[in-house]
Amino acid sequence: MIITKKRDFQELMENIKNYKSFFLIGCSECASLCGTGNQEAIDALTEALKAEGKEVEGGFVAKTGCQVLGTKTELKPFKEALDKTECILVMSCGAGTQAAVEIFEDKPVYATNDSLFLGNMTRFQFFDERCSLCGKCILDKTGGICPITACPKGILNGPCGGCKDGKCEVSPDIKCAWVRIYERMKKLDRLQDLCDNALEAKDWSSSIKPRTLVTRPDKKEEKKK
Amino acid sequence: MSFKDILSSGKFVVTAEVGPPKGTDIKEMIHHIELLKGKVDALNVTDNQSAVMRICSMAVCKICLEHGVEPILQMTCRDRNRIGLQSDLLGASILNIKNVLCMTGDHVLAGDHKQAKPVYDVESVQLLGVVNSLNNGKDMAGNDLKGSTDFFQGAVVTPEANPLEPQLIKFEKKVRAGARFFQTQAIYDINKFKDFMKYAKKFPVKILAGIVVLKSAGMANFINNNVPGIRVPQELIDELKAAGKEKALDTGLNIAARHIKQLKEENICDGVHIMAIGMEDKVPTIMERAGLL
Repeated sequence: MIITKKRDFQELMENIKNYKSFFLIGCSECASLCGTGNQEAIDALTEALKAEGKEVEGGFVAKTGCQVLGTKTELKPFKEALDKTECILVMSCGAGTQAAVEIFEDKPVYATNDSLFLGNMTRFQFFDERCSLCGKCILDKTGGICPITACPKGILNGPCGGCKDGKCEVSPDIKCAWVRIYERMKKLDRLQDLCDNALEAKDWSSSIKPRTLVTRPDKKEEKKK
Repeated sequence: MSFKDILSSGKFVVTAEVGPPKGTDIKEMIHHIELLKGKVDALNVTDNQSAVMRICSMAVCKICLEHGVEPILQMTCRDRNRIGLQSDLLGASILNIKNVLCMTGDHVLAGDHKQAKPVYDVESVQLLGVVNSLNNGKDMAGNDLKGSTDFFQGAVVTPEANPLEPQLIKFEKKVRAGARFFQTQAIYDINKFKDFMKYAKKFPVKILAGIVVLKSAGMANFINNNVPGIRVPQELIDELKAAGKEKALDTGLNIAARHIKQLKEENICDGVHIMAIGMEDKVPTIMERAGLL
């Protein structure tokens, strides 16, 4: 899921200082699990804004805030509140915020969160980054542990000289990705693979931005068949 | 004779290093280069060591050549992508820089520009492959070069890494990727190093043992607590402590000289790489005491 973190409230207030009335859009997916876009978060921000003398015309938790058409449909019942609103606050990720930008052509939209990374939830509201969305997976070659993400240098052929007692030079809180990969490959009896196969430099052309993808079958092609 | 030829001649080789300064005043650096001229077989020029921004390695390598010292261009993957690295390698080649040491490079968080974007488009094993490819007239993308390079390429290894086996797997990858010589991280336990050499001698590469001078017992303890891949044995710390504050540095120089002497006399490895870290002027003293001058 996309891990988000609430932005500093004063920074948010500075961003929205020119506006008086707001509508808040949360998200029931990632941002709810992060506690940044669920109903409780909306209620808390509503209170905080009111305390600053702002008006909150309404708010709701979108099912999937990054889904443009679905969110647009979900917003229909809120037309009256939205008409009175000067500014939209989106309480999900950068994708959710930009879905709102697309929906609200004439209204300013601000993000209340910073979007951090694609993460795993290891315990309730404990998040770890494990995948960098690089576009060409190498997990099959590294025992299922991604060195591009788990190693601060993202290196592909073993630990660097900064590994100290299995910990990373960047922080003792990080276990060396390549020691983890080594240990896992050893358990799987695949150490020889690790020794024999030096990984080539990555082809970064698979992650040139902005990326798009269409997975829906082409209807005309379908009909022909 | 070139560094490469000296290494293959079987002579016990000595390399040292010079760290380019931050800023354009190079008087002291030139003094160190002059001091080491004719004494060491080659001089490593570090590449923004510890991720602290300084004069680039290539410019200082050129200055070494002008002063009659053969340089080893240290090249890290932290600051340049594959285009930058290859371009600099071609540049180094036309400046007559013959030796290149391929390393991954300390993370930007270790340095003085922590907000920088770390690159690591390739890493040490892959960079060795790149050098090999340029030597064979092709760039990384397989394009023909108009004139190939003729580098003698090396790499680094940490014989006291913990855990060791992943490090050795990488060492073997470096050998296969074309490394011809290795300079090791600092070693202090000669018996343990002998074990490493027993293993490393199976490979067709030259090994220079890393020597870092201990200035005090405090420095030794600091290394043990903070520096990855280096272990100073307790008896050396005791020796430094017993020497007292005034004699500690002199004792450190003796320890370095003693180790070098043993490595040479017992024919343990192919040479040493002395990292003086700010005490370049002491390198001749160490060499003298080791019986090398």
